[in-house]
Amino acid sequence: MAAYLKARLTDEADSALAISHDGSTLARRLSDKYSDRVATAFTVFGREGRFVPLPDDLPSGLSKALMARGIERLYSHQQEAWEAARSGRNVLVSTPTASGKTLCYTLPVVSSVLEAGAKALYLFPTKALAQDQVAELLELNRAGDLGVKAFTFDGDTPGDARQAIRLHGDVVVSNPDMLHQAILPHHTKWAQFFENLRYVVIDEIHTYRGVFGSHLANVLRRLRRICAFYGVRPQFILCSATIGNATEHAQALIEDEVVTITRSGAPSGDKHILLWNPPVINPDLGLRASARSQTNLIARVAIKAKMKTLVFAQSRLMVEVLTKYLKDVFDHDTRLPPRIRAYRGGYLPTERREVERAMRAGDVDGIVSTSALELGVDIGSLDAVVLNGYPGSIAATWQRFGRAGRRQQPSLGVLVATSAPLDQYLMRHPAFLTEATPEQARIQPDQPLILLDHIRCAAFELPFIAGDAFGPDDAGPYLQVLAEAEVLHQEGERWEWIADSYPANAVSLRSVADGNFVVVDRTEGRQTIIAEVDYSAAALTLYEGAIHMIQSVPYQVEKLDWEGRKAYCTRTRVDYYTDAIDYTKLKELECFDGSKAGEGSARHGEVHVVRRVSGYKKIRYYTHENIGYGPVNLPDQELHSTAVWWQLPQSVLDDTFRSRQHALDGFLGAAYALHTAAVVAVMAEPRDLQKAVGSGDGGWSAQVDAAGRGQIRAPDGGLALPDALERFLPTVYLYDNFPGGVGLSEPLFLRAPELVTHALATVEGCECKAGCPACVGPVLAADENREETPRALTARVLRLLGAAA
Amino acid sequence: MNRLPQRASTTIDLAALRRMAGVRERLGQPRLPPRNFSRDVPGDEIFPGLRYLEQCFAWPDAPSELDLTFARLTTARREHLLHFDTETTGLAGGTGTRAFMIGAADWHDGGLRVRQLYITTMAAEAAMLRTFSEWIDADTVLVSYNGKSYDAPLLATRYRLARMANPLAGLTHVDLLHPMRRRYRQIWENCKMQTAERKLLRIVREDDLPGSEAPRAWLTYLRGGSSGDLVRVAAHNLQDVRSLSGLLVEAHGWAALDAQDHSLHGNEK
Repeated sequence: MAAYLKARLTDEADSALAISHDGSTLARRLSDKYSDRVATAFTVFGREGRFVPLPDDLPSGLSKALMARGIERLYSHQQEAWEAARSGRNVLVSTPTASGKTLCYTLPVVSSVLEAGAKALYLFPTKALAQDQVAELLELNRAGDLGVKAFTFDGDTPGDARQAIRLHGDVVVSNPDMLHQAILPHHTKWAQFFENLRYVVIDEIHTYRGVFGSHLANVLRRLRRICAFYGVRPQFILCSATIGNATEHAQALIEDEVVTITRSGAPSGDKHILLWNPPVINPDLGLRASARSQTNLIARVAIKAKMKTLVFAQSRLMVEVLTKYLKDVFDHDTRLPPRIRAYRGGYLPTERREVERAMRAGDVDGIVSTSALELGVDIGSLDAVVLNGYPGSIAATWQRFGRAGRRQQPSLGVLVATSAPLDQYLMRHPAFLTEATPEQARIQPDQPLILLDHIRCAAFELPFIAGDAFGPDDAGPYLQVLAEAEVLHQEGERWEWIADSYPANAVSLRSVADGNFVVVDRTEGRQTIIAEVDYSAAALTLYEGAIHMIQSVPYQVEKLDWEGRKAYCTRTRVDYYTDAIDYTKLKELECFDGSKAGEGSARHGEVHVVRRVSGYKKIRYYTHENIGYGPVNLPDQELHSTAVWWQLPQSVLDDTFRSRQHALDGFLGAAYALHTAAVVAVMAEPRDLQKAVGSGDGGWSAQVDAAGRGQIRAPDGGLALPDALERFLPTVYLYDNFPGGVGLSEPLFLRAPELVTHALATVEGCECKAGCPACVGPVLAADENREETPRALTARVLRLLGAAA
Repeated sequence: MNRLPQRASTTIDLAALRRMAGVRERLGQPRLPPRNFSRDVPGDEIFPGLRYLEQCFAWPDAPSELDLTFARLTTARREHLLHFDTETTGLAGGTGTRAFMIGAADWHDGGLRVRQLYITTMAAEAAMLRTFSEWIDADTVLVSYNGKSYDAPLLATRYRLARMANPLAGLTHVDLLHPMRRRYRQIWENCKMQTAERKLLRIVREDDLPGSEAPRAWLTYLRGGSSGDLVRVAAHNLQDVRSLSGLLVEAHGWAALDAQDHSLHGNEK
């Protein structure tokens, strides 16, 4: 009943707003009407465009092509990039989303093709972006009849086309993985391309962080080695979203100096930002309405106000649920073309292209997406962006908001908080978002195991001569180890590849396992592939019984062929969706080394990480009540990796903490603080190094629940109470999130005392009261007045682990 | 402009690196069998690390002009033919695979001459490639078995890495694999060279070292081990190029055979 009344109320709200709006007026109306929900409202002021005429030294064919495409002048930053590139410098363009970064590299590249028959290599993180880029180049080419040949070169490129691309491609658009596995190890086939290679363009460099970024930096070292063989030294043109250290990151990737261009000359309208906290619906329990309901409300209002709206959801499931709710309002007449579309990974490429096209053409009024649209996929401009939950980083938040804003028009950006502690923290402390520097991208290309992998690949490509460096270091010791493993042969000064293997195939730049699952529709005897799901998401979305949604049309998975990587499903009509229940636990396999850490111990060794999907919940639409459970029988997702871990004996915990719950909360806070310290210490990307708290004997695992308390999951997946456990040996684990480990945890063990001390210094030096995302993790408002705050409990655990205050 | 971050050059601890690379266990194992073995290799050393072998085989009734219609070509004079085959360090492909032996058969003084080059040091590769180039001129017609997809591209890569012109580029190349497949795919169990050799030339090899063993044989010798299997590789390669010439003559006869067949069938009608 309450839900129904609420729906009525919001409907009334809608009608009041059902007139044309822009970002400014709508932001004001929303703030007035829902003042209790708008935690903060602020405006990022737009700026006038700074325009300059097309450069005089632009080849006339290119000028004509640009004019034919309606580009009669440049933004000032495009001209700056043009001049820097023409003077032979490496260039980094770090301007906001949608400021016309593409032209910054298109102009010098196309000019060099026209003037000197030069070649260019483009690297994009995804195939979709590469395809966009080629389409754009071809349009420019057609407009001016330039004769520039641009091709994508990726895993989908057919074998017979590859030869033609190698010989005739002026601009080859590829990705780091292809450069690593297909181009460099076959560089002799690309000899003509390399001999004329003038520019290497790498877009979205902020995505190359952590281990992935470290790999790319080494792939670029190999690229430069090959280029030197062919007697060329290409210039780099790099683009990045706004991050805290774009220049430093660019220079670390290419190991050379760059000219950085950050002042955008593109005009932009004012951006009206609202931080929106769902209303409290149960004051006694402090429960708030769901973020989903609020996102739905705001998106509906914006679309009714004739604003093109983009909603970002955090999961694929949430994309489908929100799409369905918006379609229920706007697409009930199925004879008309859809006004609401969903966009996410897992759709077939043709479906995605179609959605992009429809967005660009302005045929769609609302689009719901995962982070897939965070990167520069061209979908035209939008008026409003609604984030269903904090994306997890400041940089990603601004990048998503950056999707809104046509030229001078005011736009609207709303961040809707979920009940997650971090989201709630943001609502209370908006300065965290507005004043803090965006996250830094870090890489560590000289990490020995990564270096060993790439020196192996490099030796396959060209022999090493004694004294050759790879990166800053002498490659000697690595070559010796490779010779001992009998993959290299040393003869005099030369180290030559000798093994019958193709080393690049054994080195994956990304941690994700391969082997996509296809989803096959068997409704009424059909056998049609309707989607692809990547390996990592399969267990969570394709279990038997799962409702799998495509553009919010529900299909039920009837049979999952795990080995064959196929899920068979049929169209269904149910009033619920399903959500998997999963948890992660660790087990120590072998301890390599250990040392005393205060009252407890620090160890380092091999661990077994298991992620298990134990079942699923059926959740009814709109009411979101839980209407049943189903069992799931799937193989565990296993990872053998290396880890560093800390633990304290039970007796010490019993003496120091009032209850086991207090000790557990302290351990969870310590895991958070140690993780932060460790990520900085080894320059890791947080996703590459994971943290976990569990029992030292691999029995139970713990995480922070919605109420901000440590919650224990027994081996069978059920919940358990700390006091009911026979043994209580909480352990903080930091593990490499890569099969076999990637070498992050060993240095952490060696620096364990320093890490614990750093973690304590961060916790004690924090200006917060009870704990915050900067120290022990976000805490709920209710915890701020607790007698023993999470922050105090964490400090106690760290001190017991030997932290020197 | 920002200054480049200064990265301290570090010397990596070799023991730690070995442990990470997982080669520690391997090191404990003895490298070579402790018994006596031969290091004798056939042929003359014509350049440090490059050895040369030459043998001639009488073949009195060989045709002087070969009909290449089976390969969708016209004809070739016998003295222009160069039958060649390489032995390599593996099948992985890319820039890391090399040829350590090249065998070539041509018609010389009325007989079939087989010349073989192989290297006993890596550094001699350039000399081998240079010598092989000297055997080829603009009129050369190459003959191989699967050489268009395997041997020729591999040599192209090696010439490119050695910064030498590729002598094979642009030459007429008769790859016998494809015509054999077209003619016998439905008849034989497979169309490997040794099958063709057995079915058409009635040659059965004795004590033949399988081609897949060649990389190991050469590496064993290179690392100071026995030359026994390397000698067998040379014998295998010799038989390969001899058979190539035999198979070519066989295929040359197909056109006449088919014409005869055709007229026979025609008469029956």
